[in-house]
Amino acid sequence: MRILLVEDDPDLSRQLKMALDDAGYAVDHAADGEEGHFLGETEPYDAVILDLGLPKMDGVSVLERWRRENVATPVLILTARDNWSQKVAGFDAGADDYLTKPFHTEELLARLRALVRRSAGHASPSLSCGGMRLDPRAARASVNGEPLRLTSLEYRLLHYMMMHQGRVISRTELVEHLYDQDFDRDSNTIEVFIGRVRKKIGPDRIETVRGLGYRIMALEGESGT
Amino acid sequence: MSLTAQTRRALFPSLGRSSLVMRLVMLAAIWSVAMLVAAGFGLNELFRRAAVDRFEAGLEESIKGLFAETTVADGQVYAPPMTDARAFRPFSGFYWEIAQLGPGARVSSVVKSRSLWDSNMAPPPSVIAAARRRPGETIFFDMVDPLGKPLHAGAQLGSIPGRTAPLLFLAAENRESIDAATARFVVIIVGSLVILGAGLIAAVYLQVRIGLQPLFRLRREVAQVRQGKSDRLTGAYPAELAPLAGELNALVAHNQDVVERQRTHVGNLAHALKTPLSVMLTEARQQPGALSDIVERQAEAMRAHVEHHLRRARAAARSQTLGERTDVEDVLDELARTLERIFQSKSVSIDWTAPDGLCFRGEKQDFQEIAGNVMENAGKWCRRNIRVSAQELDPQWFSITVDDDGPGLPAERRGEVLKRGARLDESAPGSGLGLAIVDELARAYGGGLTLEDSPLGGLRVVLRLPRAEL
Repeated sequence: MRILLVEDDPDLSRQLKMALDDAGYAVDHAADGEEGHFLGETEPYDAVILDLGLPKMDGVSVLERWRRENVATPVLILTARDNWSQKVAGFDAGADDYLTKPFHTEELLARLRALVRRSAGHASPSLSCGGMRLDPRAARASVNGEPLRLTSLEYRLLHYMMMHQGRVISRTELVEHLYDQDFDRDSNTIEVFIGRVRKKIGPDRIETVRGLGYRIMALEGESGT
Repeated sequence: MSLTAQTRRALFPSLGRSSLVMRLVMLAAIWSVAMLVAAGFGLNELFRRAAVDRFEAGLEESIKGLFAETTVADGQVYAPPMTDARAFRPFSGFYWEIAQLGPGARVSSVVKSRSLWDSNMAPPPSVIAAARRRPGETIFFDMVDPLGKPLHAGAQLGSIPGRTAPLLFLAAENRESIDAATARFVVIIVGSLVILGAGLIAAVYLQVRIGLQPLFRLRREVAQVRQGKSDRLTGAYPAELAPLAGELNALVAHNQDVVERQRTHVGNLAHALKTPLSVMLTEARQQPGALSDIVERQAEAMRAHVEHHLRRARAAARSQTLGERTDVEDVLDELARTLERIFQSKSVSIDWTAPDGLCFRGEKQDFQEIAGNVMENAGKWCRRNIRVSAQELDPQWFSITVDDDGPGLPAERRGEVLKRGARLDESAPGSGLGLAIVDELARAYGGGLTLEDSPLGGLRVVLRLPRAEL
């Protein structure tokens, strides 16, 4: 297992490197954002531990650039800031997990193990529809390369519809696939979810078929690759 | 003449506190009423004078006619034949008389009109005296005729050829016509002046309302800033108010700036401490011993202090902020996404609903903190499902209900969970439910937090928070 550690504090870097070595990982270290970005882009790591407060280029920018360049390596973010806007920004930039300083090394190792296991677990191929792409492995979706910010229910809705492209899907069918069996929901709430997803992917990609349900499709002029 | 403050207060007790409009209108009204009353009296007097003058000119004419054509033959005085028919009808309201003066103020009639019948005009002594002093001049006076009607009369002393003692020529006419005309005029003038006065006050009121319009607009805009509907004054104001609006904007901006700077300072300090703390903790753990135990315990305590004071500083800064509003839907969406990632090993699913356009009146960061901590707590304890629902309660408040399907919390332990926050620095970070912090924050916004049983089986947290009007 090869890990990239991007952290600028020399003491913390030394400690983490030692702990990771002891846990059996091969560790590369970068002390600033630019070096970290370069390494993450060029080397095939199994996971990245990324500090957010970095010299030269901050962690969120590094992460955003990787995700734009389709670097899908799972990333664990380290930060001293534990407010929600930081967490939201981190996850929206494409982080897979988040750890607030100060932390116990054991906690970091446990999170890292879970991260690597999760990313290795799924192997379903990615789906696409017009400019939309959906990657079930990372549970991420994008439109024309721009990452979409979806909650899990929205993601599940989009996933199900993309697996059944071109077919009209009824509300009841969507409810059944979106919620647990013992979770009783009104099929009208589907309308709300469709509305939210439309807001995020563009209004014309999901068509309402009156009385029957919904259908997802590529926009005119988009290739269906 | 200047009024002292005291007399002014005594005269207009309500002026100091009442509105500017009332103040201006009241002053204008008092002034106009005084002017109009004076004008009324003046006009009335002018009219009366003119009427009396005309009347007296008539009387004088009669006296002159009488004087010019009176003849004396053999010591006998002959009056001219009067053309005015009223002179022959008894008590007709028109009278004349030629009298001779005796010693002192005695007067005896020589010839008189038939209309006087058997009475005499008997001018008062003061008139006789005045006529004596100024012969040839007509002296006017008021009297009553035998029927008691008011008369206006003139008297003139003149000498007739053939008679050595001067004679007093008198003429009188009923003055009811002048009195009636004057009374009619008073009615008309009072009526018109009242209408004019009312019109003037209405005009002043309108003028003041329109003139002060920018002031009312300023007040509305300031209220909007306070309610969080806008973050600065945007209207164009006249030269007198523009500097005030500018200063207010500068004040709002300064306020936001100070809050922001303070927050950044405290944040920087607190966060700068976190990396060294992390290093110390890790180092201490790797070399077990008495020293490392102390270091670890103290480092943990320092961390708790940092967290606590970070929040305290933010809460203190927050109560001063103006004009902030936060879209509830946006924040819930962000938090749901983020928390699902944080708890992805559990495959937590967050189902949230919020009315379109619902806004929290306050800072985004605070709302994230409030909703985020409650939802994170639900994430920690739930099995798989979290349901979040925002609802409008009334124009000022909304609620957020967070349900989870976890083990829940027995009713008797609920108070304890919230109380722990009061002694936040004594409780280890990460322990407890983090709900105490939320409770504290919600209270800072005048809202609150209650714990209930959830229909999903776990705990239900209901937040009550202030709503920004649209």
